[in-house]
Amino acid sequence: MPAATDIMTPLWRGVVLFRAITAVFAIAAITVHHHGFARPDLGWAVLAGIAVWTVATCLAYSHDRTRQTLVIVIDLLVTLALMGSSALVLSTEQLTEVAHRTPLLTTVWASGPVVAVAVHAGRVAGAMFGVAVAVVDVWVRGFFSIDLARDAILLVGTGFVLGLAATAARRAGEQLRRAARAEAAATERERLARSVHDSVVQVLARMRARSGQLDGEAGELARLAGEQEIALRYLFSTTTPGATGEQDLANAVQRLASPRVEVSVPATAVLLPAADVDELVAVVREALANTARHGGPEAKSWVLVEDLDDEVVLSVRDDGPGVDSRQLVGAQYDGRMGVSRSIRGRVADLGATLTLDTGPGRGTEWEVRLVRARHGVAR
Amino acid sequence: MTGCRGDGRAVIRVMVVDDHPMWRDGVARDLGERGFEVVATAVDGAAALRIVAAVRPDVVLMDLHFGADGPSGAETTRCLIDSWPHVKVLVLSASGAHADVLAAVQAGASGYLMKSAPLDELVDAVRRTAEGDAVFTAGLAGLLLGEYRRIARGRQNDVPQLTERETEVLRRVATGHTARQIADALVISHRTVENHVQSTLRKLQLHNRVELARYAIEHGLTQ
Repeated sequence: MPAATDIMTPLWRGVVLFRAITAVFAIAAITVHHHGFARPDLGWAVLAGIAVWTVATCLAYSHDRTRQTLVIVIDLLVTLALMGSSALVLSTEQLTEVAHRTPLLTTVWASGPVVAVAVHAGRVAGAMFGVAVAVVDVWVRGFFSIDLARDAILLVGTGFVLGLAATAARRAGEQLRRAARAEAAATERERLARSVHDSVVQVLARMRARSGQLDGEAGELARLAGEQEIALRYLFSTTTPGATGEQDLANAVQRLASPRVEVSVPATAVLLPAADVDELVAVVREALANTARHGGPEAKSWVLVEDLDDEVVLSVRDDGPGVDSRQLVGAQYDGRMGVSRSIRGRVADLGATLTLDTGPGRGTEWEVRLVRARHGVAR
Repeated sequence: MTGCRGDGRAVIRVMVVDDHPMWRDGVARDLGERGFEVVATAVDGAAALRIVAAVRPDVVLMDLHFGADGPSGAETTRCLIDSWPHVKVLVLSASGAHADVLAAVQAGASGYLMKSAPLDELVDAVRRTAEGDAVFTAGLAGLLLGEYRRIARGRQNDVPQLTERETEVLRRVATGHTARQIADALVISHRTVENHVQSTLRKLQLHNRVELARYAIEHGLTQ
């Protein structure tokens, strides 16, 4: 997951830098205040501890492999121990004097683990570490004051807000990664489509074109190859991405093309709500199935998609025997045109209108007109 | 130059432009067997433009996808027709790439046929193209209907529009009616149907030329 790591790296660099700068500050503070220490020797030892631990954590937080929860928890414990040692090192005056407050040995360096865990695990962990540091702060002092309250709020707030930011950054990185992957997939699909078009489709189209002149098994094979040609041609056709939840009706209908079904569409996408596209495609499928059942083996079908802006018109016509309109009433209706009920049902659900034009020897033509919802005309 | 057959009709001279060797040679052979004179084959648009002066075809069968760089099928079509107005271009494409087909037709191609069309249809189409007819498939009619609507969408008044009759004819072509059926249904002559179809194509080609010229002037591309 390179992208997600990349997006977090600057934050971790910030953590390391913060640790180093606060360490310098803590060391300076110990140097300045060591005259008043109850145990100056132990004070120098804590100073060495802060220096060593700063180097160790900076190294750990500089590498992806060692940015682990366990490492951060140990960091917190070591930091709290160094912070707690202030109770032994500082004199009682230094610990309790409110007017010229002497900082604890670790001063702002103690907030290092809070910052690290916020970046690593988010706002809750950040706030919890902030609380831990604040509690030790109060415990060492042995009292609670407005100053300590302010420190506590700063610690908890920093952990919380930084955690929020880190989580947001991580999500953004994840989204970026997903987008990059989708783009790579689309590019690869385009490359495949070109390659298939330049090779396989050309050969299959040639076989289909020759199928008429070939007899017997060879002709049958060529016809089968021809069906695959159409399937392949539209398999790779890319859908134009529309507004959220919209789909290209032209593209969807085109997938129904076969040697017996010719589909005519505009060159530009015909965008409709995805659910409407599904229903309209289902209507076309049923009309085509009806032709296949009743139109005879030689019947051909044509599907036309038109985008009139205010409405979308879908025409499905076959050159089968057609039906005498007088026969539409009565027994024939159920057997032969029974499917029309299902088509009528779907069209009514869509709020579209349906026209059926048929007659003996004239074939059958369905026309579906769907008025576009106003807000859907996003042009 | 033009040879004659026994029955006195001029032999139609054809050039095949296709980057796929199997197609180039296969179509050339098929058309040769059916009495056409295949005067040249070319692997892409650039090659076609280089040799067209020497071979002087009546009809150019043009694939739209050439692997290499160089002019596209539509650009080649425009160049061919600009320099040799009597040459007719028939697009023969394997793809459902509508935008490419539309571009070629607007550039001046007389018609469009899918590569998978049976040989009889191809022979008929080449013959009609040579005679100056537009070769209309249902698919092309659908594309033209869509294109007229697209250019009418929120633009100036000087865009070409289909008459009611022309729309009616195109819709019928797009739903698989033959010219004969359309003539019978609309009670007009077969020739009138042809004229309507031709007119829809010519208006669009003219509009395309005007647009190109306007673009050239606006962007200072003319001398």
